[in-house]
Amino acid sequence: MEDPAEKGMRIHRGRLAQYKHDQLLREYLKQNLNELIQQKELVVNGKVKTQIATLDLPTLKYGEELPVLAQGPGGQGRSKGGKVSDEEIVVLGGILGGDHHGKELRVELDFDEFVRLAQEVLLEEMELPTFHEPTRSGEVETEDIPELDDLDRIGLRPDLNLEETMIHSLLRNVRERGVLDYDVDLRYDGWYFVEDPASYQNHRSLEVYVLDISGSMRGEYLSLVRKTIFVLWYYLEKRYPTNLRRYVVFQDVAEEKTREEFFCVESSGGTHISSGFEKAMELLEGVTEYDKFLFMFTDGETSSSDFDLARRRYEEALEKFDLVCYGHVNPGGRGIGGFSEVVQEMARKRPNATFANLMDLETIKAALTEFLAFLRGERGGSRPWRSTRRSSRGSRH
Amino acid sequence: MEEYQAVVERIEALARAKGLSFDPVYFRMSDGEEIAEVASMGLPNRFIHWYWGGTFKELVTQQSKEVFSILELVLNTNPSYAFLRRNNTYLQNVLVIAHVFGHADFFKNNHWYQKSNKNMLNEAELHARTIRQYEQAYGAERVEKVLDACLTVASTVNAFERNPAERSKRLIYYLEERAPLEEWERHLLQLIREEAEYFDLIQRTHIINEGWATYVESTLLREVLTAKEWASICMQLCNRPSPYLIGYSLFKRIEETMGYERVLVVRSFYEDVRLIDEVLTEDLVRRLDIFVYDPKEKTKSYDLQQVKEMLIHQKLYKGEPHVEVEPGHNGRELVLAHCEEDKKLDPKRIALFLKAVHTLWRNPVKLRANGRVYTYDRRGLSST
Repeated sequence: MEDPAEKGMRIHRGRLAQYKHDQLLREYLKQNLNELIQQKELVVNGKVKTQIATLDLPTLKYGEELPVLAQGPGGQGRSKGGKVSDEEIVVLGGILGGDHHGKELRVELDFDEFVRLAQEVLLEEMELPTFHEPTRSGEVETEDIPELDDLDRIGLRPDLNLEETMIHSLLRNVRERGVLDYDVDLRYDGWYFVEDPASYQNHRSLEVYVLDISGSMRGEYLSLVRKTIFVLWYYLEKRYPTNLRRYVVFQDVAEEKTREEFFCVESSGGTHISSGFEKAMELLEGVTEYDKFLFMFTDGETSSSDFDLARRRYEEALEKFDLVCYGHVNPGGRGIGGFSEVVQEMARKRPNATFANLMDLETIKAALTEFLAFLRGERGGSRPWRSTRRSSRGSRH
Repeated sequence: MEEYQAVVERIEALARAKGLSFDPVYFRMSDGEEIAEVASMGLPNRFIHWYWGGTFKELVTQQSKEVFSILELVLNTNPSYAFLRRNNTYLQNVLVIAHVFGHADFFKNNHWYQKSNKNMLNEAELHARTIRQYEQAYGAERVEKVLDACLTVASTVNAFERNPAERSKRLIYYLEERAPLEEWERHLLQLIREEAEYFDLIQRTHIINEGWATYVESTLLREVLTAKEWASICMQLCNRPSPYLIGYSLFKRIEETMGYERVLVVRSFYEDVRLIDEVLTEDLVRRLDIFVYDPKEKTKSYDLQQVKEMLIHQKLYKGEPHVEVEPGHNGRELVLAHCEEDKKLDPKRIALFLKAVHTLWRNPVKLRANGRVYTYDRRGLSST
């Protein structure tokens, strides 16, 4: 019997249903983004938890924790000894009796998926331009063997070439001069080898995100920071698909975090902005990335003893980073004081210092214009902040 | 599929020799995605709804992470369709084949399945087409709203109940009979009710059906497999999800105490509630390690009576709060009552639920729960 399904010709009802489901999910996220994004622990095990009731069918549920039927590991054929912890108990409700279609839906999103959706929502709300995937125009794929019109400088082939050069040199010297020595001048014969591979211009950029997690940074504060970062990512990812991102959080002291940890913060402690800058600069050690961006988010309320140190560290950071973006997190829309005032002042003078007052979506948009000004500048061929340094780079012979 | 032809025939012959009988079974090789699709929708060609989409997504993710995969699926239709998974090992699929014959036998011989609709595959297709036509005629959004509401009340069906007075206490039947719906809306409600009854039957016989299929599987395979293969199977059987294991243990117990003849009788006339009520013992409860867990006190109870009551309650009301239509109200009034007053309902869900019922009933809907009366009408939810 000819079965069209065997040839992959079938209606993918599952995927169609999933599409419908995801559309609704998107709607839900749009409506609840603000609330979701404020969760202290935004990502757990790569997932963003949602408290979604609306994506479930609105059946009745008990409002309290009632005794349930459960099964311990003994029944699952695992070890019988020892104490049973909560995690080993399998609640039998959904499996035995509940809805035929399986357990209760509590939607968890992959963090990446969440970010994409959040970006979609934010860009739309802020009326920012979206990019399509970079087109590959101009690239012609061909079956022909490419013409060899260039020499590899690094990799296996030049290594082999150099080895061969040296062996020939050794043999020649033994044969002609009777000495066991090379007459290879690496500067000429091995020009490709002399250059320190680490000094190669690397077109990746480094982004260091520094977040103040002192006691005051919660709720709406986190929401503003995260929204800004998500939208920043949107543009930076398009421009620098392979860039390197590192994350620092600080209160009294600073720590480097993973991306996931960065979005799970327990706000507490005092504020030492200097520690954040210090940690960020530590991360620059050995870094060969082409551009180095620093994004600092704080409410600027550094402790008074730290004020002068923070200012010095900030100035150092301006020397070491190509761009230091400072987001003054200010959901209440109050006046700008404290350390932020210093930065605001500095941003007027220094080309690679930017300051943004983050109060709402509108100001995030303005901040992006500030932060990402270089994207425009670059297209025009000029990179305004580049004057600070660049001459020290490059050891090409 | 060809490579399994011989073993299918052999297992089928063995099954018949054991006194089993069944309608023709069509096996079909499919991929994990197709199985996830059928599992999430319940039937392969059912109408497309967002609700299955969430389950489908979850199943596919689980499969891709190898957390959990569905090995097999059988439909209660004539002929029976069984889905094997291409990624299964040969041995796994042999297991599945034996298991499937267990289900097919149950579908044919269990008393409660006699009145079941064996033509559901075609009907689901017709339903899907009807729904598409309605979408064209009345707009997808309107249709979806009604469907959502119908699916919300769908869990109140009872495939076993034949007494009309008892039935009309159940919300979905009451609505179908009395709600001031347009013809197409009533038709939708009826379609959903029919499908829900088909699933309700399966759900009410889940433990006995899976238990029986696992029992058949183990009985038949002892003769088909080598000792080594058999040993590895025994391990796997112990790791099956609970309904399989509980059902299997109960059948084993019957076999040990009353013999194979009795086993066949039980598979013909019992459903979950009766099976549990008659066969579950204190010692089985201990061995299966099933208990009533109180999350507040963090205590476990292996008390047979408690476990039984809980299991039976799960079977009767699907673990959901049990709500009945209060009789004696006429005309435009619909009054629901939560039957276990001591248990609290989540007020947020009450609001959502009543809103959904209101979409179908149109007039004010009342619910007695949490010691008060909630009313949903045009202005929204209020409570007194």
